[in-house]
Amino acid sequence: MALINQTPEEYYLGPDGVWDSGDESYGNYQFVSIADIINNFMISHVGQDKLITKVRRTDVAYWAQRAIQEFSFDVLPQDKSIEIEVPPGLYMVLPQDYVNYTKLSWVDNGGIERIIYRTNLTSNPEAPTQNAAGEYTFNNTELITNAQSETLTRWNARSAFPLGGPGGGNFDLTNNPDLLSLYAYGGRYGIDPENAQSNGTFYIDNVNGMIRFSSDIRGRIVTLKYISDGLGSLEDMTVHKFAMDAIVKHIAYSILSTRSNVQEYIVARFKKMASAARRNAKIRLSELKADLMSQVFRNQSKWIKH
Amino acid sequence: MAVSVDTVYQRVLAILNKEQRGYVTPQEFNLFANQAQLDIFEQYFYDINQFGRIPGNDTEFSDMLNILNEKINIFETNAAMTYGGTYWSTPANLYRLGTIVYDNVTTSKSLYPAPNTVVTTTTQVEVERINYNEFLYINQSPIAKPTNSRPVFVASTAGYQVYGDTALTTGVRCNYIKKPSQVEWAYQMVFGEALYNANDSNNFELHSSEETELVIKILEFAGLVVKDLSIYGIATQINAQTNQQEKA
Repeated sequence: MALINQTPEEYYLGPDGVWDSGDESYGNYQFVSIADIINNFMISHVGQDKLITKVRRTDVAYWAQRAIQEFSFDVLPQDKSIEIEVPPGLYMVLPQDYVNYTKLSWVDNGGIERIIYRTNLTSNPEAPTQNAAGEYTFNNTELITNAQSETLTRWNARSAFPLGGPGGGNFDLTNNPDLLSLYAYGGRYGIDPENAQSNGTFYIDNVNGMIRFSSDIRGRIVTLKYISDGLGSLEDMTVHKFAMDAIVKHIAYSILSTRSNVQEYIVARFKKMASAARRNAKIRLSELKADLMSQVFRNQSKWIKH
Repeated sequence: MAVSVDTVYQRVLAILNKEQRGYVTPQEFNLFANQAQLDIFEQYFYDINQFGRIPGNDTEFSDMLNILNEKINIFETNAAMTYGGTYWSTPANLYRLGTIVYDNVTTSKSLYPAPNTVVTTTTQVEVERINYNEFLYINQSPIAKPTNSRPVFVASTAGYQVYGDTALTTGVRCNYIKKPSQVEWAYQMVFGEALYNANDSNNFELHSSEETELVIKILEFAGLVVKDLSIYGIATQINAQTNQQEKA
């Protein structure tokens, strides 16, 4: 039986019969659902005369989901992104299914993404309130803390400076005091190259679940590209077909390695198979196309003049 | 497929009466017949387990697992389970529970026959057996938690509790092995003799290949009743030889 179960008309028009109205599943043929992976695993790897004679479907489902989580972090292509305009408070709330970020950038007037770099020179620590003697204060038994740390207050205070406009504006050190501070960092010995950029900075305030920006980002359109664990919603629980074999082998290895009375050589064999399949999936999913590579290699012909 | 109860009774009588060893009354025969049928039936499950551990063969009619499955399939059936408020109960004629199946109903939209037609799809999914203590952990694990597409059940003396996204109260069926029906050699007395009454009799439900086995089993029991140990000995010996040959 062929795998495509939609007519071309249904694929292109969707259930409402209207072209590109948002209810279509364009490009979904490249993905396999987690339910299909579990069913396929039960058929192909479990049963009489097979290495895994019996296993709970719940166990398979557990390991399949763990595999998707692990693969989401470094094998499966990250395709989650969110775009917002940075408010005067200079923060961005982390998306609901956020696990980690891959790239943060602001968008210039031409739609080009300018990378914003992470800084580790500031943070938003927990700030207990202190009395005049400097002692911590308590409400019954609980420590009282300030709503906002002084570090963040001072960092945010810089945002009072106006910018050239929401579209970007001209870079101006006077209007970008955060960057000015960074340039001054270690200034006696010359600028610290790590901070020598004009796109702005951010840090992640994990305690409050926010990304905090330097003042020059205020009012800009910011795009966050991030990684989820692939299990946030039912629609997410799909895997690219390139990674299907690796997921199946990962499940088999996980089950065998946690089971008693399985000879170690079998576990080792499956570990190798899972590892090799994962490597293959990673290579396939990294989109190494010959034409793109040759295009990049053309850069070698450029002369850099001194 | 069934084995005629009259054929078996006549054969038992013929062998037993040879050299005037004794006689088995219809009442005794009915008791022995049911006991023999259950003996043979119960042994299927252990034999399947035994033959499942050795490699089978690719012959069309002589693979032991195929033979045994063919014998058991006569009793395999499925039926809807009944929900009594908290627990599901199984059909009354259940002997061994096989798979509990849940009819998972989902809806989606389709272009056909008209745009945005709501289509209901029923997918049959296996409900997995877990112990109650496991359920407590599984239900608290976000990624192992049962769902309607991956339900579980917990069994107790009160019945079965089936869980999907929540406790499931509709659409649960089970595939099971039913009990073999009671065998009876019915008769009516004609001139002081018991005459076979086919209308009121119930044949053996076992596979027709079990006819010889039934005769030997019943002879074993009959040998004990008529206190003729030679009958018992011969029947036991034949039974042992058959077993040895079948399972070698």
